Amino acid sequence: MEMETDPKSVASEVFRDVLENLAFMFADEAQADDLPEAPAEARRADMQFTGVMAGALALAVPSEMCLEIAANMLGVDPDDDRAMEKAQDALKELLNITCGHVLTQLAGEEPVFDLSVPQVASVTAEQWDAFARDAQTSAFLIDDIEPALLKLVLDKADS
Amino acid sequence: MALNILIVDDSETVRAIIAKALSLAQIPVGELHNASNGEEGLQVLRDEWIDLVFSDINMPVMGGVEMIERMGEDDLLKRTPVIVVSTEGSATRIEQLKQKGVSAYIRKPFTPEAIREVVDGILGAGNGDGDGS
Repeated sequence: MEMETDPKSVASEVFRDVLENLAFMFADEAQADDLPEAPAEARRADMQFTGVMAGALALAVPSEMCLEIAANMLGVDPDDDRAMEKAQDALKELLNITCGHVLTQLAGEEPVFDLSVPQVASVTAEQWDAFARDAQTSAFLIDDIEPALLKLVLDKADS
Repeated sequence: MALNILIVDDSETVRAIIAKALSLAQIPVGELHNASNGEEGLQVLRDEWIDLVFSDINMPVMGGVEMIERMGEDDLLKRTPVIVVSTEGSATRIEQLKQKGVSAYIRKPFTPEAIREVVDGILGAGNGDGDGS
């Protein structure tokens, strides 16, 4: 399948679509310099994939945003215990679904990929800033307020 | 008749979303069971009467494909309809799953309407009508 644009742009577009359909939130691409200061607390989810393409996808958001994502996915208030319990899990699932759709967009519907289980870790302000400045990272403002960072890395083909 | 349903997914969030979608789609649910991987799912299937399974593919400990293969080796469990709910969009993978006996495939993210349509399709085919046949 012929791609009309580059993988980074594909990942950005897919992320915006998935966020809108899954969590009813709207993301606009932004320049790293336009983002607010690094959040005091943030979470980063990472996963890898192998197949006709191999690589990794990472997504970082402020910790409070994890709560909002979980709440919207579940249809509950962000203060609801269910949202708090599932905040990190919601971030993982957002990344997982984004990754699946990115791979279909990049490689078409025939190849089979093996996806790792997403992992979540805390991110310091310094790590956030470095992630934001990475040339492979796309930056977003979600609902015009909260920052988000998405990074797609493609390795060489393994087949 | 109410269906006893098993949801197998390592994401608590997805399990909750599927349960909510079943409610919104007005699918009659009797007992709702949860498992976080294929191994736990098989244990529930051995311990409880389940009419319909919703399962992810990529899970730790035991993934959905292995669970479905194990179900296919069991004379009782191989008749239980399985709907795979996954982020993957590979037509090759979907065809492989159907050859293993998967009844239907729903791609994440999904709507309650998609769940309803698939369950209706299975019920219409005479599978998972809750009579234990």
